[in-house]
Amino acid sequence: MSPLFVFQLRRVARNKQFVFFTVLLPALFTVFLTKIIGGQMAGAAERQDVAASIMVSMMAYGAIGAALGATIRISFDRASGWLRQPRVTPVPQTQVFGVDVAVGVLLTLPSVLVVALVGRFVNGVQLPLGTWITLVAVLWAGSAAFVALGVLVGLSLDEKAAGGAIGILGVVLAALGGLWWPVEMLPEAMRGLAYSLPSYWYAELGRGVITGGLPAAVAVLAIAAYTAAFGALAVLVARRRPLYAVAG
Amino acid sequence: MESAAALGIRGLTVRYGDAVAVDDLSLTIPRGQTVALLGANGAGKSTTVNAVLGLLRPAAGQVRVFGRSPADAVRAGSVGAMLQHGGLPSEARVGEVLDLVRRSFPTAWPLDDLVVTAGIEGLLGRSVDALSGGQRQRVLLSLALAGAPPLLLLDEPTSAMDVEGRRAFWTTMRGLAGRGHTVVFATHHLDEADAVADRVVVVAEGRVVADGTTAEIKTGVGGRTVSFTADPARRLDDLPAVTAVTRRGATVTLATTDADATLRALLAEGGLPDLEVRGATLEDAVLSLIATRRPTPIGVPR
Repeated sequence: MSPLFVFQLRRVARNKQFVFFTVLLPALFTVFLTKIIGGQMAGAAERQDVAASIMVSMMAYGAIGAALGATIRISFDRASGWLRQPRVTPVPQTQVFGVDVAVGVLLTLPSVLVVALVGRFVNGVQLPLGTWITLVAVLWAGSAAFVALGVLVGLSLDEKAAGGAIGILGVVLAALGGLWWPVEMLPEAMRGLAYSLPSYWYAELGRGVITGGLPAAVAVLAIAAYTAAFGALAVLVARRRPLYAVAG
Repeated sequence: MESAAALGIRGLTVRYGDAVAVDDLSLTIPRGQTVALLGANGAGKSTTVNAVLGLLRPAAGQVRVFGRSPADAVRAGSVGAMLQHGGLPSEARVGEVLDLVRRSFPTAWPLDDLVVTAGIEGLLGRSVDALSGGQRQRVLLSLALAGAPPLLLLDEPTSAMDVEGRRAFWTTMRGLAGRGHTVVFATHHLDEADAVADRVVVVAEGRVVADGTTAEIKTGVGGRTVSFTADPARRLDDLPAVTAVTRRGATVTLATTDADATLRALLAEGGLPDLEVRGATLEDAVLSLIATRRPTPIGVPR
């Protein structure tokens, strides 16, 4: 691991808000939502389905929050001038960029894992071992779309807007993408919107694993397309917006 | 490449959109010199520094650092820089940041000595977010020094400091020069250039308008300005010792190398309402240097 990677990882991990919103909050939601909604179900099989579905949604919610939270911070580093600083050291700029992406990717894993553990041991979700592993792996891999989105937003927005975007974007993606309640509960018009959001397809990846052992091809394609689109836009913005435009 | 100059700039031109920030600037700095880039805000100092670091793409011209391209020189660890708009990361300790930057260079300045040289004793365990303005500047200096680079570029290093802090910083900079580092720093304070540099390059409107020792520059810019209210129709050509004429509405400002002679000539022609005579500020001097459009800058050896 490069010293820069360790350094950046330590900075994000030191942020208590980050740990709270990306690990603790999704884990608590998993328990509460399952208790409330699952408690209304008559049969054990139905309760099991609800518990598994809520768990997948919260894994997705936590991972999206972590991916965005870890990467939108690029905006803060641009504002403080730190993003410019490594450019006058022998560290190549591509490595600086790569490290931010890698940190984002790594930090989505705790959210996914902790919610899965809560689902298994607190809510009693029963799945074959292979399915557990596939579920965690698929959601971890799929979080790349939100890492790319976070980098894009972090590079595009100024510090203050970015600070707001971390929270707002996560909430909008979760609420409208059907992570907090099933898409089927939304009115017709909003359902259409949900189907156009990456968060919906991200959760679909997980739901596919739970019901069929593997994610649906359409969900995989959708997430791959979002990742490519956000990534391409991020590279474009990085090229067009220099790290400084200071005359004098 | 052992004989290459620390810094060689030839015909550097940098544009921001339509604005020309640096205009055909040439400058050679041999190893071991301490050079002040002196000029007003917007004169092109920072742009020049950024071009030397390879942080922007010039429209024309060539920059060589120890005979290499800026990017190669930075990659090789030959350059350390304190950027005017550089910064420190939040949620990190000073020691961690310094450690990270030291590790990125092929040779690191020994930590104990670096801490003393940059004057950041007792700050290593401190959170970056808890530093004062002057402390931040010193930590940024320590980052510039971290790889013991032969060339140091400091862009307005004392801008966030109080008088005491600046004086202490000047002592540090002189010490660096004493250790054989080539130090190039941008400033808009004549006193700072005077206190630290053995060569001063005055930059205005993206061009070198004067280049010499501090003593030479001070003689060159030692004029006075005379301002008064005058009819816009009044002719002000052919006045003795006048190097520049500026009109702002009815107010005329003359830069002169001999206030006595200029005033005598003006009084002979008539009254001088709202007369004011002062010593030329650096800005006035620089303005007069531009206005005269000397074929070769002051002090440039030919």
